[in-house]
Amino acid sequence: MQIARLDSTAEKASLRRGLAIAEARAICPGVDVLPLDNGADRVFLGAIADWCGRYTPLVALDRHDDGLLLDITGCAHLHGGERAMLDDLLSRLFHMGVEARGAISSTVGLAWAAARFSRPDIVIAQGEEARVLAPMPVAALRIDIEANQALNRVGLKRIGDLLSAPRAPITQRFGPEPLLRLDQALGFEKEALSPRLPVPGISSERRLAEPVVTHEDILALAAQLARGVKTGLEKRGEGGRLFQLLLFRVDGRVFSVEAGTSAPLRNPERVAELFRERMESFHDDLDAGFGFETIRLCVLKAERMHDEQADFAGDPDAERPLSAFLDRVTARLGPGSLLMPVFAESHMPERAAVFRPVDNLAQLAPEPVAPAMAPSAEFLPGARPLRLLSPPEPIEATAEVPEGAPKSFHWRRAFHRTKKAEGPERIAAEWWIDGEDAPTRDYYRLEDEMGRRYWLFREGLYGREQGHPRWFLHGIFA
Amino acid sequence: MAQAAFADERLVALRQAIARLEAQKSQSRFFSGKLASGEKAAGVRGEPHPALLSLGVPSFDRLLGGGLPLAGLTEIRNGETRDIGAATGFTAALAVLCQAESKDRRHSVIFWIAERQATREAGLPDGVGLQAYGLDTSRFLLGHPHRITDALWMAEAALSSCRFAAVVLEIRSNPACFGLRESRRLHLRAQASRIPLLLLRQSGEEEASSALLRLHVCPAPARARIFPEGQALPGSIGNPVFHVTAEKSRAIAPAGFLMEWNSNDRRFYECDAALAPVGPAYSLAELSASVGRPRIEDEMGKVMAFNRAS
Repeated sequence: MQIARLDSTAEKASLRRGLAIAEARAICPGVDVLPLDNGADRVFLGAIADWCGRYTPLVALDRHDDGLLLDITGCAHLHGGERAMLDDLLSRLFHMGVEARGAISSTVGLAWAAARFSRPDIVIAQGEEARVLAPMPVAALRIDIEANQALNRVGLKRIGDLLSAPRAPITQRFGPEPLLRLDQALGFEKEALSPRLPVPGISSERRLAEPVVTHEDILALAAQLARGVKTGLEKRGEGGRLFQLLLFRVDGRVFSVEAGTSAPLRNPERVAELFRERMESFHDDLDAGFGFETIRLCVLKAERMHDEQADFAGDPDAERPLSAFLDRVTARLGPGSLLMPVFAESHMPERAAVFRPVDNLAQLAPEPVAPAMAPSAEFLPGARPLRLLSPPEPIEATAEVPEGAPKSFHWRRAFHRTKKAEGPERIAAEWWIDGEDAPTRDYYRLEDEMGRRYWLFREGLYGREQGHPRWFLHGIFA
Repeated sequence: MAQAAFADERLVALRQAIARLEAQKSQSRFFSGKLASGEKAAGVRGEPHPALLSLGVPSFDRLLGGGLPLAGLTEIRNGETRDIGAATGFTAALAVLCQAESKDRRHSVIFWIAERQATREAGLPDGVGLQAYGLDTSRFLLGHPHRITDALWMAEAALSSCRFAAVVLEIRSNPACFGLRESRRLHLRAQASRIPLLLLRQSGEEEASSALLRLHVCPAPARARIFPEGQALPGSIGNPVFHVTAEKSRAIAPAGFLMEWNSNDRRFYECDAALAPVGPAYSLAELSASVGRPRIEDEMGKVMAFNRAS
């Protein structure tokens, strides 16, 4: 057992990483030891990364998940400059109980090094890179431990030593990494940040002097933000398909509420309406606590939207109420609650038509399908049941002859005596899905004495496929 | 003398009350009972008579007072779960008729809300089957909520926000959260927005509700398939036949009707009484109707309103 992480108080008591716990206790008897939990650390870092979304949408996790990288290009002026922004970020984190160090520089490598190896909270101006970097140890170059030790062994302890050394022998001896990292830190080599979350195309934000708590206030603000988003969407000729409302709570927790639409949308009232349904479906899960201080609306997915000119007579929104209804239901009850039949080219009844969630209004076909093309055109009237049981229910059936229709059967413990029967309709299994030895089904339409009509099948053929084929009830006719 | 005058006065008061009711009935023939002013405004605005949908069987239409009202709640129930095919078929046939009735294609969407428990018991409607039955499945939406309260919310949202050709609400038995008050709420919504709401109650009991009509649908033996030349194919199973009994209606209901649905013509035909369903061939009773207590039929006319079945 050894120390994996420690805070600055512990560092002051001359503890360090890699020290055994027993030794640490000997040095500092009052030390508080907690077992390392990488998963929880990652979740916590993710939560802080979400919170950092208030400064910039481009937030990335560090290589070993032990730091955050923020691309603040073009964002600093919104927070009063780089210095003010760094101070604000660190002081807010301090008040949330997080001990953080930060640095702002023109390259990722330099900021990483400065936050860890230089005096804390430094803003490095452009052109100062080499000067700041020179006194730092080579470990500040983000190289692995072996390379670090190898460099130290030959006396290259500071980055300044590397800067003045000839490049070719170093590459030959230590590989390309140390110099690549050096070039990246100095800005000679490009290095891209890969942000944690996709950057929304359009977003709109409100910072509040007084935190809001109630749903009504949040929704009113969402409507205001939607108005801001609308102009952006109009400029691009697009409508949003997926909206996200980010709620930054005072204590640093960030809630994200997403709402999808069935057709491109930019009407602010309807966007707010979507979030109303989403919030109502949350019930108590959205804990406002002491309130939300920042609210942001992002458009995560947008699609081209055909603008229709309103005229005096007609109403271009005739299809609109349906899409509004679909959105409302989907926002409240989830995408699986509204379904549409989708037909497939299959003889197996359970595959010929399946219900799929409606996620696009265009699925409700605007033009009728030609009757000859419809999947039901190939059947006699009444050859397919109105209800299908899924999966088919096993029954006990008695047939007069092995290959014939059942004379009587038990379904759900009730006895049915067959009056009339039609069939068989033989449907072979689809070997490309079910496998080569899947049994054939012989379907029968039966009518019992009371006039109930059922669809039964025998799984397998006598003699050829199975010794004792089983019977199933698959559907119920009108 | 004084007593006679008092009796006269009461008689006059009663006559006036009846005249008032009659006047109200002629104004809105599908409204019953006392109306709050707000409800009245919500219920009948604009045209006083809601449109009626003729089912093509004159005697049954006469019983319904001209046809199925194209606004408001109509309840269709069946006895046992294994009879669900007949009730589903009758409801789907009404949906087909409603869909054919709507002129504008944009407003011809059928919204079928099937609560999960109901579909777990009786299966989901089948797309191919519905299409073969005469329904335009490209204008068919299935709502599949987990809970009954969600199903009710869905129905109300559908009725209040959108122009559907018909909304079908399928629930199982008599849930406690769907009583007289809730059904009245849905009924008024459906009337205000002029959408027929068909309540398909799987294996439910009779219960007081605000439905204009309550129809009990039983299966009935189908006739044989008919060749184009007019001969019947013996032993075959032809178009579905339903035995429909109006349990609640304005007119006095006779025993029941036998109606055949023809999915090619998309209409009902009346069946001959000679083909009326007969009981099972064996004379034993099907099942005893009551559980745990003897069932004593009440005298006719004594029941004012059904108790809650849930």
